[in-house]
Amino acid sequence: MKITNKVYINYFDSISCAGNDSSELFESICNKKDTIFIDSIYVKEKVVAIGKISKNEDLKDILLKRCEKLLEQSKLENFSKTLLVVGSSVGGMNETEKVFFQNKDYKKINYKKHPIDAIAYYLKEKFSFYDDVSFSTACTSSANALGYAKEVISKGIYENVLVIGIDTLSYTTVCGFSALSVLSSKPCTPFDKNREGMNVSEGFGILLLQNQKKENSIELCGVGYSSDAHHMTQPHPDGLGAKRAMENALKDSNLTINDITYINAHGTGTHANDFSELNGINSLFIDKKPKVSSTKSITGHTLGAAGAIEAIISCMVLQKQIVPSNKGLEEIEIEGINYSMETISTKVNYVLSNSFAFGGNNTSLIFGLAK
Amino acid sequence: MKINLEILSASYLFGEKEVANLNTKELVPAMILRRRLTRASKLIIELMANVDFKEGRIIYGTSFGELLATSNILNAILENDILSPTDFQNSVYNTAVSYASILFKNTSEILTISSGEETSLKVLKVGAIKALDEDEILLVCCETLNINNIEEVNHCIDFLESAVALKVKISKEKATINFENIQNNSYPKAIEHILHIAKNFKNDTKNIIEVEI
Repeated sequence: MKITNKVYINYFDSISCAGNDSSELFESICNKKDTIFIDSIYVKEKVVAIGKISKNEDLKDILLKRCEKLLEQSKLENFSKTLLVVGSSVGGMNETEKVFFQNKDYKKINYKKHPIDAIAYYLKEKFSFYDDVSFSTACTSSANALGYAKEVISKGIYENVLVIGIDTLSYTTVCGFSALSVLSSKPCTPFDKNREGMNVSEGFGILLLQNQKKENSIELCGVGYSSDAHHMTQPHPDGLGAKRAMENALKDSNLTINDITYINAHGTGTHANDFSELNGINSLFIDKKPKVSSTKSITGHTLGAAGAIEAIISCMVLQKQIVPSNKGLEEIEIEGINYSMETISTKVNYVLSNSFAFGGNNTSLIFGLAK
Repeated sequence: MKINLEILSASYLFGEKEVANLNTKELVPAMILRRRLTRASKLIIELMANVDFKEGRIIYGTSFGELLATSNILNAILENDILSPTDFQNSVYNTAVSYASILFKNTSEILTISSGEETSLKVLKVGAIKALDEDEILLVCCETLNINNIEEVNHCIDFLESAVALKVKISKEKATINFENIQNNSYPKAIEHILHIAKNFKNDTKNIIEVEI
């Protein structure tokens, strides 16, 4: 099918440990603020560093308020002509945990508030959408939600798509990653030789994608998907799947490696991710080396929300023409990468954002200034 | 907008507790991979063999995901037991199709949808939109609910394991299967639309559905 429509991001909002909104988020990233803190509650007899939002309010309730704010500011009357696309890794898991740990049985678990669809279910109690769909591909969930939003607007099927990437902290994820021995006891330091691992965190990113350009629009130019077909949790060490996703995103956007100014890496801070992703970048960006940084040392890894939050960071990089640095990167282990060591103002044309997940699910997105 | 799909092949499996007589040993010769497979993974691999689909784009739907791995994790945390890393890696919603991609070396786009009771309807919609690119796509849904004490929350589903696969491509022909009189009350509602199509699939004729987006 011939794809004709351009896709514009006309509104975004977020909350994470790095800030209560997207301005605070970007300021934290540029100023390398300390946002990840030590926790000894989630994992028994073990200290891990996690990213927690500062507001003492349920994340879903904050999400409702932010959707109301979106309606006010975007000049949409309502969501009746909008497709809702949710990306989440755990859905209503923390709700399930509360009920199960208290009652020690499943009897009072509401089956509509447990699964991934719990987010859409909650939103639909307040708002009416034209339709909705929820994606759950672990840490690529909201990157895939954005990719689908681009596809349905490009193909002329929808004019407005609201993408929400959201995940709350839960015992399941924090203890689960601890069982895999990939958690750091300090704020993570992606790409640093002395890295300890990753930080699980929580948050959401909201993006309104439309077929009409507005003031300050950012274009979602391309999406690329691939599967590693290699291992459930270990990405291919040579980054073959990562490379293919980036290549597919370049092809989808009709761009070349020379057009990319900055790569917002998946960069979780685990040894396996660092090697795979950087090998993938090195094998694709041979002559032209864009700046590379991971912002997870500030946001933590928000799992299913990461793709949406990092899409917002990519939009702000383009709007402000500022490339953020790698916080905590002191000793480089993998050569050949143009690591961003200082936050700099520079001309930024296109940003590539990577998201990779369990099962070898890979998604790359390319953003550009709307022309 | 309406998009018509031709169903090229269809297969479904169901069991009150478990689907019996799977060919997992033959389909997954490598024991190191086979022993890690979840029930959903085994069902998906079986269905993919049945509809002869190994490589290409897959749209997978599951409302409750990997319930056994999830319940193992919750119980381990509650009881202060050691949490199994395998349970955690197997608890993500895209587990089953990921194992299938590893087995069949499928490096294509694979999406997992979880939209509650409308999961299979959303799989059909997303699949139809993807199929506009004119490739053959696998649409597959699965629910595996056979865990200890499931009766505490399950009061209506008789078949605790159910899985359905359709191999589809875009079509301009008129629909031959409609969505009226869907009667799959004993199955999870999350698979009712796709199961209805698979049950009405006929080998000796063209099978076309109309998906309203």
